[in-house]
Amino acid sequence: MNDVSWPIVLVVLAVLFSFVVVGLRQKLKESVEYGFGGRYTGRVGGGAAIASNWMSAASLMGLAGVFYLKGYQALAYVVGWTGGYVLLLVLLASQIRRFGKFTAPDFVGERYGSPAARLIAAVVSVLISVIYCTAQFKGIGLIVSFMLGVDYTRGVCIGALAVVSYLVLSGILGVPRNQQLLYGVIAVSFIAPLMWLSGKLGYFWLLPQFGYGVAMQELASRFHVEFAAPFTRDTLFDWCALCFTLMVGTAGLPHVLSRFYTVPNIRDARWGVVWGLFFIALIYWSAPAFAVFGKLLELRQGVTLAPEAARNAADLIVLRTAAAAGLPGWLIGVLAAGAMSAAFFTVAGLLMTGAASVSYDIYYSILNPRASESSRMRMAKGATLVLAALVLILALNPWGGIAEITALAFALAGNTIFPLFLLGIWWGRANDDGAIAGMLTGIVCTFAQPVFGWLFPMAAVIFPLTSSALFGAPLVILVMILVSLATPAPPERMRNFLEQEVHGTLD
Amino acid sequence: MDGKKTGYQVNLFRPQKGRMRDQVLIIFVILFGWGAVNFGFQALVALSQGSKLGALLTGRTFFTLPLHFWFTGQFLPLWFIILGVFFNLYIDGITDHHNRKRDRSYE
Repeated sequence: MNDVSWPIVLVVLAVLFSFVVVGLRQKLKESVEYGFGGRYTGRVGGGAAIASNWMSAASLMGLAGVFYLKGYQALAYVVGWTGGYVLLLVLLASQIRRFGKFTAPDFVGERYGSPAARLIAAVVSVLISVIYCTAQFKGIGLIVSFMLGVDYTRGVCIGALAVVSYLVLSGILGVPRNQQLLYGVIAVSFIAPLMWLSGKLGYFWLLPQFGYGVAMQELASRFHVEFAAPFTRDTLFDWCALCFTLMVGTAGLPHVLSRFYTVPNIRDARWGVVWGLFFIALIYWSAPAFAVFGKLLELRQGVTLAPEAARNAADLIVLRTAAAAGLPGWLIGVLAAGAMSAAFFTVAGLLMTGAASVSYDIYYSILNPRASESSRMRMAKGATLVLAALVLILALNPWGGIAEITALAFALAGNTIFPLFLLGIWWGRANDDGAIAGMLTGIVCTFAQPVFGWLFPMAAVIFPLTSSALFGAPLVILVMILVSLATPAPPERMRNFLEQEVHGTLD
Repeated sequence: MDGKKTGYQVNLFRPQKGRMRDQVLIIFVILFGWGAVNFGFQALVALSQGSKLGALLTGRTFFTLPLHFWFTGQFLPLWFIILGVFFNLYIDGITDHHNRKRDRSYE
């Protein structure tokens, strides 16, 4: 570790430590009013909680990275990750709350009345958590390698150890997560350095989200780099397939849906989604600027990376740009701390979601219904460690950039959980056989490219790995409808419940 | 979960009269605005390449950014927020309206 690294490391450690201190103080001050996703804080606070729950290494590092590589094509991520909240808001948010279950497999098990459907949903939830966590581990590993000057493999191992230790420490101390504070830290740590960077490069610093347009013009006129050129690297189909996949994936991610299961007030929950979308958009309006400034700095300094080197460097473009522009070490530390916090807490949430699926939805609900609370707790702790180890193994040899890895999790959620929730809420005739057939079809669609692509080249074209839900989700819905119609209807009590409780009650 | 039987089966395309029908109507309006503006604009940009319209979309700048880039990267997230606000205001309105009418036949 060199002299420049020290301020970065110190700021990162200070920020992570401050979350523990603030959490402990909050725990001492407030003895009641904690819901599933944190204490109740109204519409704006709820929105900040939704945004902080959403922010991850993919948003703070991966988005700028993919924009650095692909330019306009990467806007599919911006649009997909924001547009998905519209689907969630209008189709699912209120109804999920009225249904009254706690996890995605819980909902599936109850709505479709099938242990098998519940088991498959639990396995899918765990898979989504593992894939999503792999992207976060990659982000953490890259930040650690950047801070400490070690190679990526060592960075991932140190980062994994740190995140699991943090998780265990937080668990032992019972530290509640202050999601409003987390969003505040993430937003300030991302936007303040960008303003500084924009000012330092001579662009409009007050609103760098608009100021980087001039940098794009310089890139185009002076260096012939066309970030804004549409559909040059990929086609309209590629763009739409990726965007649609990310949208339905957003509305199907178990840890995103979990925000709505137990909110105290449905009306505030709806408005919270809109506030959350605004807070998320603030970050997404900013992310491309880092990539543009990074590319410009590279070219001004005469650095031209080969495609392979650019791919390897892309996910660190935010931090590399800050360092290349000569930002003070403490400010780079602030930037790293925001990304690290987002990745840390996303991993913590996902590992707990995955572990809950293993201990509650698989072990307790299906394998051993008589299991005591202590044995379920042991199972959850063991599952957390096993999942973390599995994620570490995958993260040592990641198959793509942070955003691309994350997109696979979205594709799986969009092909499985989203259709199940959509039909489960909006079609009383959907039954367990349809749900099982739909989920299995969704899994096949998601992994069609790597598994069947060599045998059936069309499978790779129709179901690209990160963008399979454009055809996958409608196909799953069709399969669910056909299988449901061909098999007995769900119990009448469930149809009545949907009509009277889920759709019949007023906010 | 047991309630009185009405014979109705929940179906997005056959909503019940009253609040559900109002809600489904606004859902379809929002989904149309969501899909048409987003995917429709991308199709327009792709299909108009090489034409005067294409030159207008990609050549003009807005807030220093190329128009099509600004529209996709900055306006569309804002558009989704606007759709969300519109949806919530409408749902709040119909909820209050049906609350006043005491349209609670399920009770």
